[in-house]
Amino acid sequence: MATAAPVMAMAASMSRFFQDGSQAKPWVSTCCFRDLQGGSRSGASRRLSCRASSSWSQGAERSELPEKLQEIVRVFQGVTEPRAKCEQLLHYAAKLKPLAEEQKQPENKVEGCVSKVYIVCEFNEADGRVYFEAESDVMLTKGLAGLLVEGLSGVTVEEVLKVTPDFVHMLGLKQSLTPSRSNGFLNMLKLIQKKTLQVYSNATPTVAGNATVPITSIDPHNDLPHLTPSPGGPQTKKHLIEKKLTEGLTPVQLEVQDVSHEHAGHEGGPRGSPETHFHVKVVSEQFQGRSLLKRHRLVYELLQAELREGSVHALSICTKTPTEVAAQS
Amino acid sequence: MQEVHGYKLVYLDNAATSQKPASVLKALRDYYEGYNANVHRGVHALSAKATDEYELARKKVADFINSPSDRDVVFTRNASEAINLVAYTWGLTNLKEGDEIVLSVAEHHSNLVPWQLVSQKTGAVLRFVDLTSEETLDLEQLKGLLNERTKLVSTFHVSNVLGCINPIADIVEWAHAVGAKVLVDACQSVPHMAVDVQALGADFLVASSHKMCGPTGMGFLWGKSEILESMPPFLGGGEMIVDVFLDRSTYASPPSRFEAGTPAIGEAIGLGAAVDYLNRIGMDRIHEYEMELSKYLYESLSKIPSVKIYGPPAGSNGERRASLCAFNVEGIHATDLSTFLDQQHGIAVRSGHHCTQPLHRYLGINASARASLYFYNTTDEVDTFINGLKDTIDFFSAFK
Repeated sequence: MATAAPVMAMAASMSRFFQDGSQAKPWVSTCCFRDLQGGSRSGASRRLSCRASSSWSQGAERSELPEKLQEIVRVFQGVTEPRAKCEQLLHYAAKLKPLAEEQKQPENKVEGCVSKVYIVCEFNEADGRVYFEAESDVMLTKGLAGLLVEGLSGVTVEEVLKVTPDFVHMLGLKQSLTPSRSNGFLNMLKLIQKKTLQVYSNATPTVAGNATVPITSIDPHNDLPHLTPSPGGPQTKKHLIEKKLTEGLTPVQLEVQDVSHEHAGHEGGPRGSPETHFHVKVVSEQFQGRSLLKRHRLVYELLQAELREGSVHALSICTKTPTEVAAQS
Repeated sequence: MQEVHGYKLVYLDNAATSQKPASVLKALRDYYEGYNANVHRGVHALSAKATDEYELARKKVADFINSPSDRDVVFTRNASEAINLVAYTWGLTNLKEGDEIVLSVAEHHSNLVPWQLVSQKTGAVLRFVDLTSEETLDLEQLKGLLNERTKLVSTFHVSNVLGCINPIADIVEWAHAVGAKVLVDACQSVPHMAVDVQALGADFLVASSHKMCGPTGMGFLWGKSEILESMPPFLGGGEMIVDVFLDRSTYASPPSRFEAGTPAIGEAIGLGAAVDYLNRIGMDRIHEYEMELSKYLYESLSKIPSVKIYGPPAGSNGERRASLCAFNVEGIHATDLSTFLDQQHGIAVRSGHHCTQPLHRYLGINASARASLYFYNTTDEVDTFINGLKDTIDFFSAFK
């Protein structure tokens, strides 16, 4: 079992980066897995998660970019002639719609850019994704902004935050970018990520996943003791967690335990206050072929709301595929 | 010749900084390799030689601008520092509330900001000369601004954006008539034409080494002897003193009074070598050639439709403009132009506000592109630039 920092911790680290304006790479710091009290059980698996986190933070892996951005990278890599790359860039510029005057506010302006660039970000509560618009007075810069908008609109918060700046080198536009423009690109990405965090934090607690539990998808041969939440009555957090994990992962086995009494005096919660710490065991086919990190990420994504509110401090998660469980026994 | 992005480099950004001849680089190397030692301080052979060469460089600069004495040339880090030197010493001592400083809307930031600081500290008022419809300085307005409260007129000799040339001798005459002093920002003139401080009659003149084939980190202030003599120290420290006690010191005479600490010895010597180099060619010859280039550049650029060049026309012999053109192409941002020219043609021009934000605001534009030539550029290079520019315009027009 490994412990992992919830989305809000990552968000908090990113906020620190932006507030103090430090130039240190935030992507490494967000990957440091926090050790909750009672850490002995996380020993070996913590080492594993830290290794995984540092390779994640190296950032050059294309698989860490959202699909649409990967597609854009492929397009640019397929275009080798500099002039054609320029044309491709202007193609993205042409796709951008003009911004309304009231959107051209200082908080939407990219700093450190030779041109005037505005980026607008919206969080869509219906699908939990972020959407962008941008405008610039310099066509080539507008192309870069358009590329980012195309690649990052409709993507999850987490995916946006995961994008590392050296991805610009993968476009092979380095040759076509003057140093100051490169800077502009970095600052555009930084603003995009900063605004993503902001809109995500500001969004109301209403999240996706209010659909009813698809009970028919549950494997009846397995023991599922806590699965049916009471639809009309007050729902405990435990029920909510169960419901969301069921909907999202269609597990063949699911255990959610409130282990709050084991944790003493964490920030924000008095000693042993209930429903602050959960242990979750999920066995699902959806984990097949996915790394530990990705599995945990799936779980955290589904439980964004509970974690964001801060009332659930942490989860300890065990994720397995049915094959792995079978192999164990 | 250098290659950029696979193209032969065409360097047209000389108003920003110039390229250096081999003799200047050799002078720097000879100093650092042969006689690198601190100046004025030691009695040993190396120090003596360094001091001699350093002071010889000062004499070369003084002769270059026809200064009555080499003691009137103060070495500084650059022209900006030279202006600050005047602002903080002469300015703070002599200006008081209600006194007026006449500048123009077209000044480089380095000839604006120091006076803003002085104005804030002393209560002196800044007055600004506007442009005519030809985009030269409105000299009638300037005359009208001069009155008994005017203490200083500080303006460019040649504008780094408009390319226009101010009649400094006339401005000095008008200013002196009301008891005002004149500081000349000669950054864009000293490298390109013979400048004679005595003929101009100015009280102060500043220029940068790196714009005249010399190294960076070096510039100078020239001032009239009696004015420099009256000015208090700028930076304090070694070299600018005579006697030092714990609680007080006495100060050296100019120019040493204004050269605290170890100077940029090698760089001063390099500037001296640059002056030698320019003299070998002859400033009049350089100026003649550049007038031709100026006319050629202006006319070639004017032929392209939708190009707007800032400043006055070149004149029948190119005598009304420096060999630079700041311009815009309708509908295409200057940054796009300069980026594409660099990427696709290896042509170096500048885009932005060229350290003249107020001027750009006055002209109603965000930015401009600027091609600025020096005596080592050719009409062929101008042709390459013009063709590249046409190609650039075609490229971006296709995307509109």
